[in-house]
Amino acid sequence: MSETLEQSFVKQLKENQNIVHKICRLYTNDSDAHNDLFQEITIQLWKAFPKFRGDSKFSTWAYRVALNTAITLYRKSTKSVSTVSYEVQKHFFTHEEYNYEVEEKLKLMYQAVHQLNDIEKALVYMYLEDKDYTEISETLGISEVNARVKMNRIKGKLIKILNP
Amino acid sequence: MDGLDFLKNEWRKENHNYTQVSEFDIYKMLHKNSSSSVKWILVIGIIEFIIWTGIGLFFNTDDYVKSIHAEEMLIYLKILTYVNYTIVLFFIYKFYQNYRTISTMVSTKQLMKDIMKTRKTVNQYVAYNLAMIVITMVLGFIMAFLYNPKLSSLKEKITNDASNGTLLKIICILTLATVIFVVIFWLFYKVLYGILLKKLKSNYNELQKIEI
Repeated sequence: MSETLEQSFVKQLKENQNIVHKICRLYTNDSDAHNDLFQEITIQLWKAFPKFRGDSKFSTWAYRVALNTAITLYRKSTKSVSTVSYEVQKHFFTHEEYNYEVEEKLKLMYQAVHQLNDIEKALVYMYLEDKDYTEISETLGISEVNARVKMNRIKGKLIKILNP
Repeated sequence: MDGLDFLKNEWRKENHNYTQVSEFDIYKMLHKNSSSSVKWILVIGIIEFIIWTGIGLFFNTDDYVKSIHAEEMLIYLKILTYVNYTIVLFFIYKFYQNYRTISTMVSTKQLMKDIMKTRKTVNQYVAYNLAMIVITMVLGFIMAFLYNPKLSSLKEKITNDASNGTLLKIICILTLATVIFVVIFWLFYKVLYGILLKKLKSNYNELQKIEI
């Protein structure tokens, strides 16, 4: 039995959904916004899917479409300041000392990333995913040298936000 | 380990933290409506084409021309109408072509450029229509002046007025009316697309800044 285009898409997206979740995690800071962006990315992926030829991996193709959606097509502002969930989250981990510390640090880290602009977030995402600078420059449409320079600036900016 | 490298270290472990979406949920999402800026540009673009073409059809100049007995002008108006339709069709074609090149699979910068190009076509179409309205208004006035018997007293007044004061006044009033008319439209579009493309433009500027 041959799979329809839709079935094949749904299956592959389900397997690779963490790519989209991770992008939503960087671009939004509450679950409603997360789900909303997830939905828009899913629609855009589905729209672009007929042109996906399979000469790259689904995951590589998907993250590019997803980033483009978050930066360019998604209309709601993804700029955000500190989250409220931070305080709530704090009490969940007090019984496990190690987790608490890491969890808290992680929260602060995400808060700092949320203060970056959309383009900087895209660079952060690709850095976290270990993409090389050739790929980063191709994805954003900037030169490799400038991508490298910008990345270093972002690292500095994050440290500044974390240690004011 | 500090800053981004700490996050990178934790990043891969985070996979299990996300509530997994089921296949059924993905199916449901596929049939929901997109709220992307490109979709709005398409929808507004189509509405604009309909409205502006509609305005052109609504104003029946033929009857007016006949009522003031300026039948010899009809042939010129007909030519103008056909030229206008050709230009409108060209704009619609160009808009459609630009819209089709928009793809999320190209680089972010290219995608932004493609979207702005599509938007520009509609802006040019609107500018063209505004220009046509102004031209029609001017032509209409000249024709009325030359043919409309109701305006003959005005004509006499102007010919008798050696200092050209009356003519000057009329030109001033018409120019002012035209300027106000164009400014109102310009503001309307500025606000409409300002809202729609605000984020896109600021992100595009960010990308540009990296290259400097």
